[in-house]
Amino acid sequence: MVEYILKNGIVFDPTNNIKGEKKDVAFSNGKIVEDVSSDAKVIDVTDKLVMAAGVDPHSHIAGPKLVVGRLYRPEDSRKGIVPAKGVTRSETGFSVPSCPATGYRYSRMGYGTVVEAAMPPLEAKHTHEEIMTIPNIDVPALPLFGNNWFVLEYARDGKVDELAAFVAKWLKLVKGYGIKIVNPCGGEAWGWGMNVHGVDDPAPYWDVTAREVVRTLAKVNEKLGLPHSIHLHPNDLGHPGNDLTTLESMKMVSDIKKSSGVRNQNLHMTHIQYHSYSGTNWRDFKSGAEGVAKYINSNDHVTCDVGQITLDETTTMTADGPMEFDLHQLNGLKWANKDIELETASGIVPFIYSGRNSVHSVQWAIGLELFLGIKNPWQVMLTTDSPNAGPFIRYPRVISWLMSNKRRMEMIENREVHKAVEKKSSLATLDREYGFDEIATISRAGPAKAYGFTDRGHLGVGANADIAVYDLEPNNIDPSVEHEQIEKAFGNALYTIKNGQTLVKDGEVVAIKQSQNIWTNVQGLEAEEAAVMKEVMPVFNKYYTIKFENYKVHDHFVSNPIEVKVQAGKASK
Amino acid sequence: MKKITLNQKKTSTIGLEFDELIPDNVYTWEKADFEKYQVPIGNSKFPFTDYFDVEVEGSAEAPNEVIITINGDLRRVKYIGTKMTAGEIIANSSVDLHCGSEMAGGSITVNGDAESYAGREMTGGTLTIKGSTREFCGSSYIGDWRGMTGGQIIIDGSAGKQLGECLTGGEIHVKGNCDILAGIHMTKGLIQIDGDVTRWPGGQMQGGNILIKGKLSRLLEGFVDAEVVTNPEIAGKTFTGRYIKYTGDIARNGKGNLYLDADKNRNFLGNY
Repeated sequence: MVEYILKNGIVFDPTNNIKGEKKDVAFSNGKIVEDVSSDAKVIDVTDKLVMAAGVDPHSHIAGPKLVVGRLYRPEDSRKGIVPAKGVTRSETGFSVPSCPATGYRYSRMGYGTVVEAAMPPLEAKHTHEEIMTIPNIDVPALPLFGNNWFVLEYARDGKVDELAAFVAKWLKLVKGYGIKIVNPCGGEAWGWGMNVHGVDDPAPYWDVTAREVVRTLAKVNEKLGLPHSIHLHPNDLGHPGNDLTTLESMKMVSDIKKSSGVRNQNLHMTHIQYHSYSGTNWRDFKSGAEGVAKYINSNDHVTCDVGQITLDETTTMTADGPMEFDLHQLNGLKWANKDIELETASGIVPFIYSGRNSVHSVQWAIGLELFLGIKNPWQVMLTTDSPNAGPFIRYPRVISWLMSNKRRMEMIENREVHKAVEKKSSLATLDREYGFDEIATISRAGPAKAYGFTDRGHLGVGANADIAVYDLEPNNIDPSVEHEQIEKAFGNALYTIKNGQTLVKDGEVVAIKQSQNIWTNVQGLEAEEAAVMKEVMPVFNKYYTIKFENYKVHDHFVSNPIEVKVQAGKASK
Repeated sequence: MKKITLNQKKTSTIGLEFDELIPDNVYTWEKADFEKYQVPIGNSKFPFTDYFDVEVEGSAEAPNEVIITINGDLRRVKYIGTKMTAGEIIANSSVDLHCGSEMAGGSITVNGDAESYAGREMTGGTLTIKGSTREFCGSSYIGDWRGMTGGQIIIDGSAGKQLGECLTGGEIHVKGNCDILAGIHMTKGLIQIDGDVTRWPGGQMQGGNILIKGKLSRLLEGFVDAEVVTNPEIAGKTFTGRYIKYTGDIARNGKGNLYLDADKNRNFLGNY
């Protein structure tokens, strides 16, 4: 058993209320420990920034949409080419990187866990195969439930118990971690070339609304006591005026009692930047961030991640099929579309976010307004909805924006972004600057708490030794002025340690670790699940194109799994 | 001014890749640097001087003070002048794929033919091909929707299929004939073809200009609003003669212009 001690780092660990203390972090056998013997290997990180390894609450890194993205965007794959070196394989891609590149790049940024935020159950097998090829990070995946025919039916009929059994069974079948909902009812409508607008617009031929689907799944989530809350991509993404839909989406579950557990929220709103638009069309489009932030500031039942625009050329990919068609019509670029049978829609369109474009610039400002306007950093999380609003490798840049009002004002005043930012958002009036403690909260502690992780996202005794050390001296840097150094350091960790193993040193990947999939095994509903399957199977056999025997994700498809056992009705601790 | 002369000693059946041998990189190089250099061939690298003798005369303070002359049989030498921003390259032979691709400035003269993808995605500079070129000259590369965006390509001979595919700026002048789908998906820029064109120029074009002085065999249905114009002025140049001017491709709500020499294409003129 080898023991290690990180000596004299400046530690930020919000979970344990450590805010920039100079202290040692000891670990042994892959876990943080109270102390180690004098034989422990010493890693001198004197005065350097030490945090738990990052936890990304929402990213798209594995699954069929990534494969299609790479296939139909060879021009993206030609960017970011890095030859094989040392322990690493070659890397390709910018917005849709190759699988090894995904792992290496997260690892270089000091991340240890990344949630794949949209797994179509029918394509789960492939998603897990791809997770297996992404090194150095643990990857839970969220199966899509918001447009599933069985879910629509149970939600319409108010059958919470049956739906709970269905969800429990499906999480087992596809090795999923929690409930993802994308444009509820809108994805099903897209099967008919339509969409729904607002939460009370019924899916065609189903007579069920987004309100009913979301509320029922929220009840199911709490009934099962899942570690994460429902994870909602609400209706009307990217439409001017969608802030009203967003507010209603949050309000409509506010009365649903959260099961006790690690997390505080009963609803996680994802890439909320895309859902905070005011106005009625693109001409009078303006920020609706203030109202959305105000609701979140007054209601602790919601957490969100932002989906910050990074002003890059990127690849949008989502299960929100009708939105992707709208986007394709807007920018005229190539479009991929796929209908996932009884489960979901999907689409992919390249997009060029430009600081010269007024709408894109205001979108950029809205994301920052939300970061700066939401007071409690535990309720807002760092994402770019990668690759939709920009690739995840831009997180360090976003961090530099959050820590430097000077940099934000430079961008506005130097016209690196369109002047519309001043007229259509309040960003220029927000002078808040994040500190390292808040950065640690939005990028590791907060996401870990929202997902119910107790073994990561912090540096307390017993936690996984998932640690990031950055080449920054928090006591000797002014992030407001030295924003370039902030970006550089957060992009090139001095050390990334995962389960006690040093994977990155001086910004270089020095070791490869097989990824682990984290999934939720709900127990105690076996009889209910069997009863539900009797109802499900005739429909499955009639409408799916594959046999049920081939649907399940068998164990050998799952990468070194971490099984989170949940007793139905008793919240995970 | 620095003159670098590369004289071929032996050929390779697998293409040599010359993208690193551009004025931007070699303006400070002396003969000894070339002797140390390993040239990529397939998935390996080999001593450059196994394939070329090198002569270096004079000195340069910047890439634009360099002339590289390459002598020999260069039909298996790819990426000549790729991404160059300044200086001059003269290839005294026919050349392989991607000559002048992504070049941003300077000039390349090919005293022979150029294989496919010559000048693809170039943004500036001048590429002159004294012979003919094959497919995708001045085009985008696979998957992309942005082809050549600036600069000039002059082809003394003929051009292959999909010349200027996704052209987004710049000029291409073909003095000979041209194969199908010239200017497909183009949005800006000018394609001038002095010879005959097989068929379907400007398919899905949304903007820009194509001017054909020779005979066209077939025109796409998406070109409408024909009128006869005399001595049209296009992109600052005046083209003497009578031309049938079309707008298209309406399949993409295109507002591009296609000019056909009226005298050589009387079969099209008959309807107007």
